[in-house]
Amino acid sequence: MKHLPNPLRRHLAALRALAVLTVLLGLIYPLAATGLAQVLFHDNANGSAVRAGGRDVGSSLIGQSFTDADGRPVRKYFQSRPSAAGDGYDPTSTSASNLGPEDVIDVPPAGGEKGRQSLLTQVCARSRAAGELEGVSGARPYCTPDGVGAVLKVFPNRAVSVNQPCPATPFVAAYQGVRVECAKQGEDYAAGRTVPVRGNAPTPPAVPADAVTASGSGLDPHISPAYADLQAPRVAKERGLPLDRVRALIEQHTTGRILGFMGEPSVNVLELNLALDEG
Amino acid sequence: MGTTTAGMFFIASLIIALALAYRPLGDYMGRVYSSTTHSRPERLIYRLLGVHPEAEQSWGGYARALLAFSAVSVLAVYGLQRLQDRLPLSLGLPPVTDHIAWNTAISFVTNTNWQSYSGESTMGHLTQMAALAVQNFVSAAVGMSVAIALVRGFARARSGTVGNFWVDLVRGVLRVLLPIAFVGALVLVAGGLVQNLSAPHEVTTLTGGTQAVTGGPVASQEVIKELGTNGGGFYNVNSAHPFENAVPWTNWLQIFLILVIPFSLTRTFGRLVGQLRQGYAILAVMGVLALAGVLLTNVFELSGGATVPQAVGAAMEGKEVRFGVSNSATFGAATTLTSTGAVNSFHDSYTPFGGMMTMFNMMLGEVAPGGVGSGLYGMLVLAVITVFVAGLMVGRTPEYLGKKIRAREIKLASLYFLVTPVLVLVGTACAMGSAEQRASMLNTGPHGLSEILYAFTSASNNNGSAFAGLTVNTPWYDVALGLCMAFGRFVPIILVLALAGSLAAQSPVPESAGTLPTYRPQFVGMVVGVTLILVALTFLPALALGPIAEGLS
Amino acid sequence: MSTSALEEPAPERDGRAGGGLLDPQQLIRSLPDALKKLHPFALWRNPVMFVVEVGAAFTTVLAVLDPSVFAWAITAWLWLTVLFANLAEATAEGRGKAQAATLRKAKTDAVARRLADPADPTRWDVIRAAELRQGDHVIVEAGETIPGDGDVVEGIASVDESAITGESAPVIRESGGDRSGVTGGTKVLSDRIIVAITQKPGESFVDRMIALVEGANRQKTPNEIALNILLAALTVIFLVATVTMQPLAIYSKLVNPGVADSPALNADGVTGVVLVSLLVCLIPTTIGALLSAIGIAGMDRLVQRNVLAMSGRAVEAAGDVSTLLLDKTGTITLGNRQAAAFVPVRGVTPSELAEAAQLSSLADDTPEGRSIVVFAKQRFGLRERQPGELAHAEWVPFSAQTRMSGVNVDGREVRKGAATAVMKWVRDAGGHAAEEAGHLVDGISASGGTPLVVAERGRVLGVIHLKDVVKAGMRERFDEMRRMGIRTVMITGDNPLTAKAIADEAGVDDFLAEATPEDKLTLIKREQEGGRLVAMTGDGTNDAPALAQSDVGVAMNTGTSAAKEAGNMVDLDSNPTKLIEIVEIGKQLLITRGALTTFSIANDIAKYFAIIPAVFAAVYPGLDALNIMRLSSPQSAVLAAVIFNALVIVALIPLALRGVRYRPSSASKLLSRNLYVYGLGGVVAPFVGIKVIDLLIQLLPGMS
Repeated sequence: MKHLPNPLRRHLAALRALAVLTVLLGLIYPLAATGLAQVLFHDNANGSAVRAGGRDVGSSLIGQSFTDADGRPVRKYFQSRPSAAGDGYDPTSTSASNLGPEDVIDVPPAGGEKGRQSLLTQVCARSRAAGELEGVSGARPYCTPDGVGAVLKVFPNRAVSVNQPCPATPFVAAYQGVRVECAKQGEDYAAGRTVPVRGNAPTPPAVPADAVTASGSGLDPHISPAYADLQAPRVAKERGLPLDRVRALIEQHTTGRILGFMGEPSVNVLELNLALDEG
Repeated sequence: MGTTTAGMFFIASLIIALALAYRPLGDYMGRVYSSTTHSRPERLIYRLLGVHPEAEQSWGGYARALLAFSAVSVLAVYGLQRLQDRLPLSLGLPPVTDHIAWNTAISFVTNTNWQSYSGESTMGHLTQMAALAVQNFVSAAVGMSVAIALVRGFARARSGTVGNFWVDLVRGVLRVLLPIAFVGALVLVAGGLVQNLSAPHEVTTLTGGTQAVTGGPVASQEVIKELGTNGGGFYNVNSAHPFENAVPWTNWLQIFLILVIPFSLTRTFGRLVGQLRQGYAILAVMGVLALAGVLLTNVFELSGGATVPQAVGAAMEGKEVRFGVSNSATFGAATTLTSTGAVNSFHDSYTPFGGMMTMFNMMLGEVAPGGVGSGLYGMLVLAVITVFVAGLMVGRTPEYLGKKIRAREIKLASLYFLVTPVLVLVGTACAMGSAEQRASMLNTGPHGLSEILYAFTSASNNNGSAFAGLTVNTPWYDVALGLCMAFGRFVPIILVLALAGSLAAQSPVPESAGTLPTYRPQFVGMVVGVTLILVALTFLPALALGPIAEGLS
Repeated sequence: MSTSALEEPAPERDGRAGGGLLDPQQLIRSLPDALKKLHPFALWRNPVMFVVEVGAAFTTVLAVLDPSVFAWAITAWLWLTVLFANLAEATAEGRGKAQAATLRKAKTDAVARRLADPADPTRWDVIRAAELRQGDHVIVEAGETIPGDGDVVEGIASVDESAITGESAPVIRESGGDRSGVTGGTKVLSDRIIVAITQKPGESFVDRMIALVEGANRQKTPNEIALNILLAALTVIFLVATVTMQPLAIYSKLVNPGVADSPALNADGVTGVVLVSLLVCLIPTTIGALLSAIGIAGMDRLVQRNVLAMSGRAVEAAGDVSTLLLDKTGTITLGNRQAAAFVPVRGVTPSELAEAAQLSSLADDTPEGRSIVVFAKQRFGLRERQPGELAHAEWVPFSAQTRMSGVNVDGREVRKGAATAVMKWVRDAGGHAAEEAGHLVDGISASGGTPLVVAERGRVLGVIHLKDVVKAGMRERFDEMRRMGIRTVMITGDNPLTAKAIADEAGVDDFLAEATPEDKLTLIKREQEGGRLVAMTGDGTNDAPALAQSDVGVAMNTGTSAAKEAGNMVDLDSNPTKLIEIVEIGKQLLITRGALTTFSIANDIAKYFAIIPAVFAAVYPGLDALNIMRLSSPQSAVLAAVIFNALVIVALIPLALRGVRYRPSSASKLLSRNLYVYGLGGVVAPFVGIKVIDLLIQLLPGMS
């Protein structure tokens, strides 16, 4: 090696260094960690599997959809949060919605292109659907009664409820003395001033926040105790169980804040549903 | 206890834990980098490398070794991705596309860990372990070695050398990162993280559907992802994924791991320059900026000021129930204040000002406390610039730690300070100027602009987190962001090493009453002020048209 | 703007660092020079102002192509910004030029009488002074002008140096010793001297002085270079920030198609005029404009104190000095020992001793002798008698053999002098020298004083305690120095005992006793090895090596040419205390730069708050919340920011020329004060200033 030019020697040393470190850090370390983890924490290391009737039904850490083949909620189960992972709770395609906090205007389908629902409309629609499912009001601030974002595009002498395509009835008749129209297909409203209208929905709304938002992972195994409470009467009714029994089960599957301050209280939906199934 | 109160306790407990680790870890690292003995495994490694551990390098030699190592690393990571289908544990996945492979190679070698791919559907287990996780270790050790070289520059007098790169690299890995990572990995498994080599296996769910439960050596990678402020997740959704971050306390532990080395290095710095109070001053600057960043992010997220969060009732979009808004915001701030880039919630869906805070944290230049090593050297460069202006105001040629800040030092520091903002702004402008690149935006209006601004801020500052709505696995973004990451990492490193060489060669000026004391609250305040003002002035136009316009609508 | 924070005039505290006031006439006189400096090549060296000029030229083109009141107003003020910067520099140079003109008068076309043979003062030829070479010998008589710099090798003369020093009292120049240096252009008033020329043609002291005060070949100093780099970097950053804003602005306009075009923003983005305005407002124009003026004015302040610095580097180094070597005599003490006490032996009253001491000293013309008379008068009320009053007095002068002096009057013999000599005289006269007197003598010697024994024939009366008298206020000065972090070392030829006593009294940090030139050199080298910068004064040829070695070497103008060559500053007043002022001026120079840099950067905050909402509130009405100054219209907001930016340069010219106030204190206190005034002031002032300008200009046409 003494005879090699300096740059070459340097790169050879670099190559050897990387090779040595790769063996150490890329093979020995993870394999040793795997071996020890498999011995010490076998369950955890293999994904905290949940078993029912002698078979794996999932992982206690990974949420699931409790919907039928058509995507409708199965009424006897507590429902998980909305999910943006694939078609919902797909661990091979994890994702969040990534929609912004001011994403309030829907893109209607046009010219063969698929439209896109704004985040606000998605929230409103979920709220309305959850309200209907649970038999409470799905009303929310900035939402129309028909479950889209209550957003106007205001022009000097007219206003358009931009998320309500004609022939829908706009959620307000007039805005600051100007008549509000429904959104005509194919018309470009970009030039208007965007005005979300809060409306008079109560705060907090009957449907809790986690029920109308997608989680970060798309695999969130939890719902808030509030959302569980909201669903309890329906599940109890469907299963013919006393409400108190259901509530007790919720209580059992609720994790409080660790040490009183870490995290938020949460209810593990899969485990709760499994407990219900197991009676 | 209310959500806010619990969130504040969460932050307080982190501060206490970091304070407890500060002295032992900082002192330990000081010993690691100043020790003159080599352990037996280290001797073996040096022999395998063919390097003499006692041979000190000039700053140029140090830089050349570092660049050679990084160049070889880029090739290796690229190669392993491209050949993964022919190697074991590929899970049947095809080779990674060329532009994604290049981007990922640069990304992991530069400690950025920007991910233009989705882990579970792109990378086999061997690629994750032998290519990506290895870089998680060594890129962190490289950052620390550069910081230590700069500290030596301050500490040495009339010296032509700044240390030996190979020794610093090996020690950083063997004595600091690996032991903590090994223990940490097992602790995380105890919390529920997976650690196996399985392929996804299908289960039938309660409602009769199917779900593929994934596996992988996650915990061993997760721990170094945080400890080395890397941030590249095993899965697409990173630390939001329950297998990467199972319960609230693993979340707490991850934030702790993110912050512990960058903060503790200030103690190491104080030790090595022989003035602990100088280390405390740097710690104080970092601490003030970090605490402000964490608290403001919390305030904006908890108040949920924007149309959708108002409609929802909380800024819960993109956040996990088990973490809640506050702990997610704290994680978001910690990951952007350091050059980590791991996320447990999705910044794209944050409130406008909460999202702006994550961006602003990065724009500070990743110095509060910044990445492992890179945070310390970045902060020291800012201190040098502050000392210069402050030193003039006390009527002396400015000096820091007894070293004069002359034209050469200011030239290097100014160039350092120029590199990242220029990359961020020019990159953003190029993307924004092209309708084709703008088409990658998921969101419209100012938020779309924020997505692109965030991408270039994150890449140039070697953070790696994203406003993930932006579609970046296109050749243009992969190349452009890859270049930002490479220049944003190595140009500053070369400048810092040159600065180290220049400082090491100086003979120190003795301290007197006329010397500006750089350990008092006054100086701490001034560094904070200089940092904030320079960053604000540089980025205000861009921020005004992105998050500020969105937040004030 | 709130000028109160900035315009505190530097009080002229007993002639210490302040500066000449700015004469408005001077600004007008400098205007032609300022216009000349608009040439791009002249501005190239100043990157900040060069960018402004390019911007101004660009907006001029835009205004011609698409004229509007707004565009022309901006263009005009951008050009004014450049002009004001040039004006600052021209004014600073102008002050030097006035001085140079005075100096040139002294440098008339003198003729020289060159000796063919230095040993023979009778043969010479007459040549022009400019033709003189090094080593020539010239003869100069009363009424003639000395033709060039050199050393007197023969004779003694009184010389009028007022042309250079401004001091009208003539000075003595003589061959040998440390007062042999003469300067070309000065005038011999009496006698005749032969001068060996030491200058090279065209490099005389006056030539160099003219070049210096004119700032003709001014080199940038190290700190100035460093600061320039930082300013260039900031300029690049703001250039990038402004230029890259354009695609973002275009996009913002694109996604808000309902918003009409405005003079600030249209479909092509921010209009050129506004973009340039923003850039000029953000780059550090204030410090960029004033930087060279500060440097020139710093040199000028030295010149006004009759100190010539051979390079700006030396002035800057003065601010960094951490060790000050001061000669005892003339700097710390008054130069001569003085009577400080009369100590009688037992049996003699103090007034008796005083009377005898006075009597013996009446005819003593040495400073010591005079001080005894003065002390007797002040302390004991003894009237000073003229020697002539005592008709029968026989005065015994001091001689090297007797080593005493005195008087014989009315049969009384009084002597004073060195202890051994006087004691011997007493014993010889049959008296016995009191043992007590011996103890007194030893005690005074031990305390660093000089004892003079006073005796009558046969009887010792007592001892006069002579001591070095430390100049008034020196202790305070040295305390100040210590607070500034400067160590003072007293250099003296005295023995260590005496030296320590004086050092303690004066409050210096250290002393070097029985100092030889070699000792001095060693001391300087030792200090420098520890990283300290050393300043010293010197006048003798044997000081030259030390002067050359020190970082700041101030040669006395009265000193030899060798000393003047070796040092990097010359004090025309030959006042060694001035070293302290030089240090202060050096510091003031750096502080002024730092303070204005801080001010300049702090200004940017307000300008953003003026311009960003002005440009973008149309597309994003929410951004109007940033318009915290409530400026009346986008146009007036942008114009007000540009006008403020230009006017602040003019407003700060006096400060740049005068230097910011400097009070010796610790670094921390200095920093706090300057941060409050220039940091906080720099944040607040433009908010007020821009608002006021906006109120004034909103009524102009084209502002809405």
